[in-house]
Amino acid sequence: MAGGRDAGKRKRPGVVKKKKPAKSSRGFYLLLAIIFIGGGVWLATLASRPKAAPVQEVDVTAAAAEGYLAGNPSAPVQVLEFADYECPACGQFSLVTEPDVRRRLIQAGLVSYRFYDFPLPQHKNSLQASIAAACADDQKKFWEMHDALFFNQPEWSTGATTNPGKFFQDYAKQIGLNVDDWKKCFEAQQHLTRIYGNRKEGDRVGVSQTPTFVIGRKKVVGAIGYDEFKMYVDSAAALPPAPAPAGPKSTPKQ
Amino acid sequence: MRPRQVIAVLALTGAFVALYLTLYKMGVIGELSCSVGECETVNTSRWATFLGGPVAAWGLATYVMILTLAAFGVSERGEGSRKISWALVAITGWSVLFSAWLTYLELFVIHAICIWCVTSACIMLGMFVTSLVDLRGRIGGIEE
Repeated sequence: MAGGRDAGKRKRPGVVKKKKPAKSSRGFYLLLAIIFIGGGVWLATLASRPKAAPVQEVDVTAAAAEGYLAGNPSAPVQVLEFADYECPACGQFSLVTEPDVRRRLIQAGLVSYRFYDFPLPQHKNSLQASIAAACADDQKKFWEMHDALFFNQPEWSTGATTNPGKFFQDYAKQIGLNVDDWKKCFEAQQHLTRIYGNRKEGDRVGVSQTPTFVIGRKKVVGAIGYDEFKMYVDSAAALPPAPAPAGPKSTPKQ
Repeated sequence: MRPRQVIAVLALTGAFVALYLTLYKMGVIGELSCSVGECETVNTSRWATFLGGPVAAWGLATYVMILTLAAFGVSERGEGSRKISWALVAITGWSVLFSAWLTYLELFVIHAICIWCVTSACIMLGMFVTSLVDLRGRIGGIEE
């Protein structure tokens, strides 16, 4: 009941009396405004937080591991990518930026591109993904498997399954591998030495998160977009090239 | 503070949590701030997508809908409407069930907990309970 005037009125179901704005309304709108402004500032702070560590110069003259090569090894600019197949940001780069990098830089002969496995311990299926890709490389289809792994990342990652091998086998079939040969290689965990070598190369250049790129001599962290990537390539092209590590060549499909 | 006001405050808070997770899925925010649990494991799992869209974006849409309803419900025009109370109970009730299912997935299928998702589930539960209080206050007569 609101006040004395209503004291004698009988309650009728379904009838709600109009009332004056409550005193608490001002406090309510003030609270909403505080949450709105506070939340906006919070999100803006998070969104503007640098996603990439500062660019650093690194020594790439003595690469011990070969990675997986795409493009002309004697191209003017050498790019190394250190990535974990389960890392969402690596998947984002692979799906969003990498197609442009391949078409406009690698296939144009401007960049030689090497992918290095950098499986992170918290991603339990990532090492197996690296093995799946290495086994595909035996049949010269590393990049096809690389693309399939990133494209289908949500279905085989740690959160989704404890048995990613069955998914990898499907991809092997889809990309036209000899599945029996691939399966033998995968189950025997061949190429672990190569994968650990790639990972060790990442440790050597100071990789602490994925994806990390070495573009020319600059280390760049995070799933950068094409424009930023091209800026670093242009910058590296203006400098004397670093010697490229030797390794077999694989050709990525578009 | 009246129940619908409480719901509006909770919905606005929840909307920011959902917006944060949505921005993460869109790649605007590099990595999740996750002091407890494994937020990235949960938010990159196959269950982080529902009907073709990120679950967080569905949550954001739901919070905005609840906020709009509750805000209208405290306005002069909507204050007397009992339909709004029923709508709030229905939407928040459905959201609590959906949140409970997601929490079950986190605990028993994904085996990882996302503190932001748990926060959102608690906010949903709080809004549902408050909307029941609001409805109860309106069924059967004159308010206040």
